[in-house]
Amino acid sequence: MTDIAAAPPSTVGTASHWLKKHAFSSLPASIATVLFFALLLYIAYLVFDWAVIGAVWSAENADQCPTAHGACWSVIDARYRLILFGLYPYDLHWRSTLACVAIILTVILSCIPLFWSLKRLALLWVVGFGAYYLLMEGGPIGLQEVTTDQWGGLSLTLFLFSSVVLIGMPMGLGLALARRSKLPVISYGVSILIDFIRSLPLLTTLFTAAVVVPILLPDWLHGDKIWRVIIAFALFFACYQAEVFRGGFQAIPRGQFEAGQALGLHFWQILGRIVLPQVFRHSLPGTINMVVVTFKETAIVIIIGFFEILASANAAFGTGEWAPYYIEVYVFVGLIYWIFIFSLSQYGEYLKRRMSVAKR
Amino acid sequence: MPDPQANAVEIRNMHKYYGAFHALKNIDLTVKSGERIVICGPSGSGKSTMIRCINRLEEHQSGTITVLGTELTDDVHNIDEIRREVGMVFQHFNLFPHMTVLENCTLAPMLVRKASQRDAEAEAMGFLEKVKIPDQALKYPGQLSGGQQQRVAIARALCMRPEIMLFDEPTSALDPEMIAEVLDVMVNLAQEGMTMLCVTHEMGFARSVADRVIFMDRGEIVEEGAPGPFFDNPQNERTKLFLSQILGH
Repeated sequence: MTDIAAAPPSTVGTASHWLKKHAFSSLPASIATVLFFALLLYIAYLVFDWAVIGAVWSAENADQCPTAHGACWSVIDARYRLILFGLYPYDLHWRSTLACVAIILTVILSCIPLFWSLKRLALLWVVGFGAYYLLMEGGPIGLQEVTTDQWGGLSLTLFLFSSVVLIGMPMGLGLALARRSKLPVISYGVSILIDFIRSLPLLTTLFTAAVVVPILLPDWLHGDKIWRVIIAFALFFACYQAEVFRGGFQAIPRGQFEAGQALGLHFWQILGRIVLPQVFRHSLPGTINMVVVTFKETAIVIIIGFFEILASANAAFGTGEWAPYYIEVYVFVGLIYWIFIFSLSQYGEYLKRRMSVAKR
Repeated sequence: MPDPQANAVEIRNMHKYYGAFHALKNIDLTVKSGERIVICGPSGSGKSTMIRCINRLEEHQSGTITVLGTELTDDVHNIDEIRREVGMVFQHFNLFPHMTVLENCTLAPMLVRKASQRDAEAEAMGFLEKVKIPDQALKYPGQLSGGQQQRVAIARALCMRPEIMLFDEPTSALDPEMIAEVLDVMVNLAQEGMTMLCVTHEMGFARSVADRVIFMDRGEIVEEGAPGPFFDNPQNERTKLFLSQILGH
């Protein structure tokens, strides 16, 4: 008896054992398992047949599309530039491409712990966003000028998203700190602002920034529409993010602050070295959630006349000849969204693992 | 600069209120340099509040507190100076969970005393050896036992090279088998001549280490004296009652 008990479970047996226990434990369970997997295989086959076997791939063969039984990827081949770059001048797409690369590189580098100091992040962002803006706009560096209303597609989506998060994140932290202020004027004022903005739909906020603000403010205060929208979007983001941070602050015991004080550290040292690193850890899941939602919500700027990726995609099948192939376009755009959002959430998982070491 | 001739701590006619609640009443206390004081009393008697006033974790409303010749006022400069000279150990350790043991110990020396990382680390290792856990230096607080964490907290406070150490019930949150290892460290510290104010119910520690034992109740210092007379022949009724309660079984 003791020998058997002491023996480690055999790895050869475990797979079949697991299957037997979870999938074939009884006759009805076995039938359900078989049926379910058969259905799954059938669906997989249908998708594969549509997307690969029966598909038409290149734009030259577009005339075969109406008769083919699969997907017509020709529409992507023919129109991908419109989807990625929107109305940006065709022969200047290289600039938009480089700008995209600059923004993506900036975001990726910001995610690497090596860059996590105020100085490095600030430098990185100034360089990254500067490069994006100069490449897209062109004027200041002697290239042909492209105004922001011609920006579009994926490069606009990425720009909107990263600017909103970049401006909104410190803003949210500032609001969260202000809400904890000992001065009632500040803490109440900020609470009211946060609750007010959170009670408005994003659409209203952006519409106000894009359309109403220019009516109310004198001309010289208008700024570019894209900046007004980004600031309004960032404020919206910040108000939600402030609440995420607030949860993080509430999780820090008072003793952490006192230990810092007793060691002779000053308020900002305690905040920067002791409190905030823990707040970020506690609010990480909520923050990742906010970032992912924001990436998807950028599509809303279509309403106020920006040609981001979803709007460009609609335009891509908007002409008569490509009209029947909207599914292909949406699948393509969906895939782009998925790549970015999946990477973001995987990065969030990595951060969680990394930080859990310190909390064990 | 701290005055080496001055008393370590001088508290005169000090009162502390929480709103309408009179938490500390007319506290008078002088602690000479190198003196070891144990403060005991029932829960809610104000003993923790009193030592927390010494490094301004709590604000007093009237009277004076002078630490090493510097008076504790609203002046931020004075508060900073006093906090540099006064180390504190808390009941719940309050280690920084996101930093290693070594980082916990080097943070303040590097930020406050502007020590270089190398010096701070060398010094921290010295103190970690003193509290007998140099081998845990690269672990995180959450990986240590309660007794080990409290010893790290002591080492962390010592790294600032304080003149005075405050202990706020350092063993109350520990499992019984870990109390001794922390008390050992405190006894060694006392033998080296550190000025110490300890709020504790470890009467064995008080008897063997303290120069003076102070009994507080309802915000007042009720009785104080050398440990021998204090334990064997308490004068006040409240002291007698308290001692019979904690020593009675």
